[in-house]
Amino acid sequence: MNKVFAVALREFLATVRTKAFVLSVVLLPGIMFGGLMGMEKAQQFARNERIPLRVLAVVDETGALRADLEAQVARANAERPNQPFGLEWLRPGPADVAALAARVRSGELYGYILVAREAVEGAGGFTLGRKDNQLQAGRVIEEMVREAIYAVRCRAAGLDPARVAELRSRPVPVIELDGSTGGPVTSHAVARALTPFIFMFVLFMGTFGIAQGLLTTVIEEKSSRIVEVLLSAVSPTQLMAGKILGMTAVGFLLVGVWGVVGHAGARAYQVTDMVTGYRLGLAFAYFVPGFLLMAALLAAIGSACNELKDAQGMVTPLSLITLIPMIFWFYLAEHPASLLSVALSFVPPITPFVMVLRVCGDPDTPTWQIVSTLALLWVSVLVAMWAAGKVFRVGVLMYGKPPSLVELARWVRYT
Amino acid sequence: MADALVLEGVTKRYGQFTAVDDFSLRLPAGEVLGFLGPNGAGKTTTLRMVMSIIYPDAGRIRVLDHPNAAEVKDRIGYLPEERGLYRKMTVADTLHYFGQLKGLHGRALRARIDESLERVGLQDWRRKRVEALSKGMSQKLQFICAVLHRPELVILDEPFSGLDPLNAGLLERLVIELRDQGATVVFSTHQMNQAERLCDRIVLINRGRRVIEGRVNEVRARFADRIVVIDGDGDLAPLARVPGVIAAQITSGHARLELADGTPPNTVLETALRHARLARFEVQRPGLQEIFVKLVGGDGAPAEAVVSGEAAHE
Repeated sequence: MNKVFAVALREFLATVRTKAFVLSVVLLPGIMFGGLMGMEKAQQFARNERIPLRVLAVVDETGALRADLEAQVARANAERPNQPFGLEWLRPGPADVAALAARVRSGELYGYILVAREAVEGAGGFTLGRKDNQLQAGRVIEEMVREAIYAVRCRAAGLDPARVAELRSRPVPVIELDGSTGGPVTSHAVARALTPFIFMFVLFMGTFGIAQGLLTTVIEEKSSRIVEVLLSAVSPTQLMAGKILGMTAVGFLLVGVWGVVGHAGARAYQVTDMVTGYRLGLAFAYFVPGFLLMAALLAAIGSACNELKDAQGMVTPLSLITLIPMIFWFYLAEHPASLLSVALSFVPPITPFVMVLRVCGDPDTPTWQIVSTLALLWVSVLVAMWAAGKVFRVGVLMYGKPPSLVELARWVRYT
Repeated sequence: MADALVLEGVTKRYGQFTAVDDFSLRLPAGEVLGFLGPNGAGKTTTLRMVMSIIYPDAGRIRVLDHPNAAEVKDRIGYLPEERGLYRKMTVADTLHYFGQLKGLHGRALRARIDESLERVGLQDWRRKRVEALSKGMSQKLQFICAVLHRPELVILDEPFSGLDPLNAGLLERLVIELRDQGATVVFSTHQMNQAERLCDRIVLINRGRRVIEGRVNEVRARFADRIVVIDGDGDLAPLARVPGVIAAQITSGHARLELADGTPPNTVLETALRHARLARFEVQRPGLQEIFVKLVGGDGAPAEAVVSGEAAHE
């Protein structure tokens, strides 16, 4: 047992002392905070960006929109003087879209608006064609045309459009409370939406990033021929156990540091209602078996390969699976009780990430699901450790061509 | 004294290829065994089986009276042929780590590290990283890593390969010191002169099979009386036709004859006296090098791999 600890300690120190580790400890929270701040800054920048006059050709079949649409453009231009719009009125009638498109291509026009005759009654709308897909510009143009049409409708109904607009512009503030506690919730919408993702991302980096280190060191020890020296002193099982233990300690340190930083950050952004002790505890409970599972798999793969290049091929399927929660994180956090979310919770390598997203999205995730996913995760840890031990024992002294997955399975069966 | 190492009918196959075939060996404690053989003969495979790093398909191994070296790892020192060190670790940390893995700790370990570094002249390098060492220095470091815990049985796979004569000499002295302290030493080598100097016993392995085994003197004696060298004036050619002569190199005035087992050198002498005026008649005791080349080179194995440049002809 002392030997296992000696191996673990060396592994821990060797990893923690590297520049890469120090960087990742500091860098990840830095990037996260930078990202949050950056988003706000970027929005400001976007507002101030200077864009030359964008001319829109208008074909107005209703013949009633001109004054109101011009008023709307004037209002929008006053709001964003750096990004003005201009209008060019064309004679109503069948529009020559091809000619308009050619003028857009030449850069003469930014876009064209074709308002249908029935738009005022509400039976038709308008067509918009433009040069790019910039979201902001699209929103502004749509709003200008819509508001102009509303104004025409108001007058047709005998109402004063200015009065209606004023009534609609008065704010209706909402105070949100945490439904289950009655306590206040944060007002920072971006931080609120991103918290589940941050939870998952930290877990993901802690698991995959550090377990990948295990893969690297096993391959390094093989290619630098240290393995045989080590095996004269410790058994392959002790070696693997020590390495996994050491790397687990590294993972704890990393996730621990990020957890503390994250908690402080949560206070700074007033999202403490999102980052509760319960959630941190649960994230930790999922981190441990999630990490051990990944560590066992990567240690086995590392022992079977001689070069990082060979290993990459075998790791790819694993990385693809772990991408699922990354891709679906928004869905999982928004629909934590859906069938897909529950089903993905029972896919062992990604259980921790899915469950953390779900628990962040819905504090009332059923206890039976938490207990059973944790149980399944631990069972798969045991199976993976058992199989990895066998692969490790054979693989760690094998040089030459890396084995196929079929051969790996044979090692597990016959050793 | 009890046997430190016993192998009985040990066989190891890799698919169709038999790496070690029915290999037996008995090594009394306290002796130095030279494990000789050409490249690919099965030396490393055998030593790995002794270390329980791989397991034989058939046969029995006893190491320090245990069926499995894993049970007595702390009493064995092993320097594998495939040896590496952690490049980023310092010399002292490396020794500390491997010492710990061999069950040493605390003050005793630190004292042992100081002592060993001094013995091989690396004391000024203790705070340096391994990557800063020259090849010879790291080989010395690897050697003291392997014997830091004063093992009863020391197994060295090609310990001298790639060392300059100065460092090779130092390592030879260290091996002798180990034996003087009572350790049993097994080392594999291609260098016959070295084996002759250092070993009490040798075993020669070729294509996985034991070719010859015994005390160095006995092995040489077994091949003694079989090489006859004659210098003299006259016709030496008839010597090649003497019954019992199996090989002959004859030039004018010089003959080197190899006799079949049991042929008395006197029969050759009688013929020589009849045909020439002799200046010299000598019955030679062959060196291990010759025995090696004869036994290994004769069976179609690539002899040039055996008589490598580093093994100077005596």
